[in-house]
Amino acid sequence: MRRELGAYPLWLRLWHWSNAVLFVVLLITGLSMHYSRPAPSLGFRGDVLIHNAAGAVLTLFYCLFLYGNLRLGNGRYYHIVAGDIEPGLLLQTRYYLWGIFVGSPHPYPHSEQRKFNPLQKLFYLAVMYLLFPILTVTGWALLSPGRLPEAMFGVPGIGFWALAHTYIGYFLSLFMVIHVYLGTTGTTPGQLFRLMWFGETGRPEHLPTPRSPDSGDRPGNRDSVPVTTPEEHI
Amino acid sequence: MRAAGTFVLLIASSIWCVLPSAAQKGEHEPPCMECHQPKDTTIDPVQFSHSVHAALDCGSCHVEGFNKFPHTSTRAGMPDCIDCHSGAVISPTIDFDKISQGVQASVHVKMVDPAFRCTNCHSPHYFIPASRMTDASAARSAANKSCLGCHAAGDTPAANDLALEELVEKHRLFPHWKLHIQENACIACHTPRGEQTVHLILPKSEALRDCAACHGKNSLLTTKLYTHLALKERTERGWANAMLFNNAYLTGAIRNRWLDWATLGLAALLVLGIAAHGVGRWLFAILRRRS
Repeated sequence: MRRELGAYPLWLRLWHWSNAVLFVVLLITGLSMHYSRPAPSLGFRGDVLIHNAAGAVLTLFYCLFLYGNLRLGNGRYYHIVAGDIEPGLLLQTRYYLWGIFVGSPHPYPHSEQRKFNPLQKLFYLAVMYLLFPILTVTGWALLSPGRLPEAMFGVPGIGFWALAHTYIGYFLSLFMVIHVYLGTTGTTPGQLFRLMWFGETGRPEHLPTPRSPDSGDRPGNRDSVPVTTPEEHI
Repeated sequence: MRAAGTFVLLIASSIWCVLPSAAQKGEHEPPCMECHQPKDTTIDPVQFSHSVHAALDCGSCHVEGFNKFPHTSTRAGMPDCIDCHSGAVISPTIDFDKISQGVQASVHVKMVDPAFRCTNCHSPHYFIPASRMTDASAARSAANKSCLGCHAAGDTPAANDLALEELVEKHRLFPHWKLHIQENACIACHTPRGEQTVHLILPKSEALRDCAACHGKNSLLTTKLYTHLALKERTERGWANAMLFNNAYLTGAIRNRWLDWATLGLAALLVLGIAAHGVGRWLFAILRRRS
C-alpha cells in the first residue's frame, strides 16, 4: 500500500530536484573555473556562462522556496520547537553514531507533521536561511565586479566576495554529499528517495515505539509532536 | 696706495676662486640643457633623472650633428637602441637580441612600418623597465600607455577619449569587458602565448582568446609579464599568483594551495567517513539478520 504524505507536495519535489540538478551544474562549473581545468567542450568562457545562468535560475527557485515556506505552509517544518535542542540533538546524534547500527528505532521518524529530525532541521536552517543567501548574494555581486568596493577587511573587494562565494559553495557541496548519504537512512535505503520523488513512500511508514524522553518533543510519537501549523505561520 | 694694493689682491683672488667653479659647472652641466629646459622642449629633467638612461650624457645618443645650433642632424640619423643593447641579456626575459627578433616579426614591422623602432613605443628619456616596478598595476599602466599612445590617439583630448572608447568597444568579447581592459595589459593577449618576449605583437586576428591562459594556476600574467614580481611572491603564504592579488582577483589564478589541499582533504575525510558508516550499517544489518 502506498502512503501519501502531504509534506512533499508536487511543487516542493519539483523545486528539490531542480535545485539538485542546478547545484550539481554549479558545482561542476565552479570547480572547473577554480582549478582552471575547463572541459574542452565548454572552455572557461562556457563554464562562466553556464555557471551564471544556472545561478540566476537557482535564485528564482530560491524565491519559490521562500514563497512555499511563507505561503504554502512548508515553513512550519523549519520552526525550532521545544526539545529540538535538548534532548533532540543528542538523541539524533546518538542514533546516527550507534542506534542506526544496532537497529534502534528512528527517534524522529518522518511524518506529515514532522519532516525533519532536530539535527536535520538545524542544518537546513543554517543552509537555507544563512549560507545559501550569502552564496546567492556573493554570486550576484560577482556579476558586477566593477561596482564592488576596492577593499574589504584588508582583502581586495572582488577577492573578498569571490573567496566567500567559493568556500561557502564548497561547504554547501559537502552538505549535499551528507544530504544524499542520509537519504539512505530511511526504513530502506531507497525509501526517502522514493518519498522525495513520488511524494509517497510506497509502503506504510515505520512507526517505532517511542522512547519517551522526559520533556519536549517526544521522538517517535507523531501525535504528540508540537509543531506550528501552516495557519499559525501565515 | 697700500689700500689700493689690497683691493687689487682681493679682486684677483676672487677671480681666481670663481673661475675654476665656473669651469667646473661648464664641464658637468650638458650644454644641451641650456636650450632644452622643460618649458622650451619636451625633456623633463626630473623624469629623465628617474629613467634607466639617466646616467648617460645627451651625446651618447645624440651624436653627430647635434652639437651645433641649428642641428644638422635629425632623429633618423641617430643610432638605434640595439646598437648599444645588442647582445645584452639582462635576465631570461630581457634578451635584447630576442627582443629585436620579436620586433622584426611583429605586426608593427610587417604591416605598419619596416623602420619601426624601439622608440616608437619606449621613450628613451623616461623609460623605466618593468623589472624596477614593485607594483604590477604600475607596470601594466606604463606598458599600456605605450600602446594607447598610438591606438587611442586623436588630435585633441576629446578625440583621444573617443578613440579610447572605440578601442574599448572592440573588446566586448570579454565578460566584464571594461574591467578587463582597465586591469589587463594589452600585450597579455596581443603577443604569442608561451613566448617570453612581449615584443612580438600579433595581428588582431591572432590575438589570444583563451580565458584560461590568464585564469589558471600558471597564469601568463605571472609567467610572462611580471616575472620579477612573480618569482618573489608566487609562493608567499601558499598563494598562487599572489602579486596579482594585490591589484585584482582572477578566478582560477588566485588561489591558495593550503586552502585547496585542506578542502580536498576535508572532502576526502567526509567521503571516507560516509563509506565507513555505510559499510558499518551493512555489516551490522547482516549480523542482526543472523542473530
